[in-house]
Amino acid sequence: MRPGLVLTFAAMGVATYLTRAPLLVALARRRLPAWLERYFAALPIALLTALAVPLVLLPEGRPVALWDPQLPAAVLVVLLARLTGNLLLSIAGGVLLVAGLRALLG
Amino acid sequence: MVPSILAYGAVWGGLARQAGLSLGEIVVMCVLVSAGTAQFVALPMLSGGAPAWLLVVTTYIVNLRHYLMAASLAPYLAGLSRARLALVAHGVSDESYALTQARFARYPAHAAYFVGCASATYLAWYLGALGGALLGSWIPDPKRFGLDFVFPAIFIAIVARELRARWQWAVAAAAVAIALGVAWRVGGMWHIAVAGLGASMLGLWLAPRSQTAAARGGR
Repeated sequence: MRPGLVLTFAAMGVATYLTRAPLLVALARRRLPAWLERYFAALPIALLTALAVPLVLLPEGRPVALWDPQLPAAVLVVLLARLTGNLLLSIAGGVLLVAGLRALLG
Repeated sequence: MVPSILAYGAVWGGLARQAGLSLGEIVVMCVLVSAGTAQFVALPMLSGGAPAWLLVVTTYIVNLRHYLMAASLAPYLAGLSRARLALVAHGVSDESYALTQARFARYPAHAAYFVGCASATYLAWYLGALGGALLGSWIPDPKRFGLDFVFPAIFIAIVARELRARWQWAVAAAAVAIALGVAWRVGGMWHIAVAGLGASMLGLWLAPRSQTAAARGGR
């Protein structure tokens, strides 16, 4: 094991921890002002949408092909989630459709 | 969820071997950093001989999004002491955040649920990475089984299920527009932070107070 590399990894770990811990500790027991509560109520939707949509529409930074299996699968996930409210079922449906279409289209 | 993290851990482990990391180094990196995206980004830099400071700075930038997740999780974990908060903070990740947020939006918040999600996420990541490192390039392509779609599917399903009020739709639409614009123009991981921070601004004007209280477990 190369000590320099381990040191680098430790520093990367500290850098990562510094993005995780400070706000979690600071904001846990403080009652937030009302305007900030409204901001944080919107945060999960904004954050999860921002994570998801580019993964589907701009994979690796380029526009997705119109025949990409991810597009119908994303629609299926939305439909299943809204109709059944079951997360596991929705995710499984989307993944199976992607795998199936890829198998069919080669 | 767990199988797909295992698969991605295995892919990372295989790549890490190719980048010249030893088994021990792979384990140490996984445990110390525990951030999949940052570890994927780091591999080509490692094999390209990038300086250590650049690796650390890149890791920090890639993980900036955790600030938002930590801020949004914090009120649910109010029952924990400062020391425990500092400990569980290591478990903040895209996956544990998504699962916990989905749970606490419908059920009373329990810190144990977050800790469970974080533990399962990391255990799968460590085991996957170790397995991939041992087996090398023998791992089949996870894309063949659609496993690359698991992560977007999780995020999409959670948002699709939670969208009810009109203000929520507005926030999601704004996040789509900003995220796509930034991902297209700037690249990297910036779109997550920019769209997360930017689209949430709509909440300042549109989110009703009562909705806010409900969304945070009635506190």
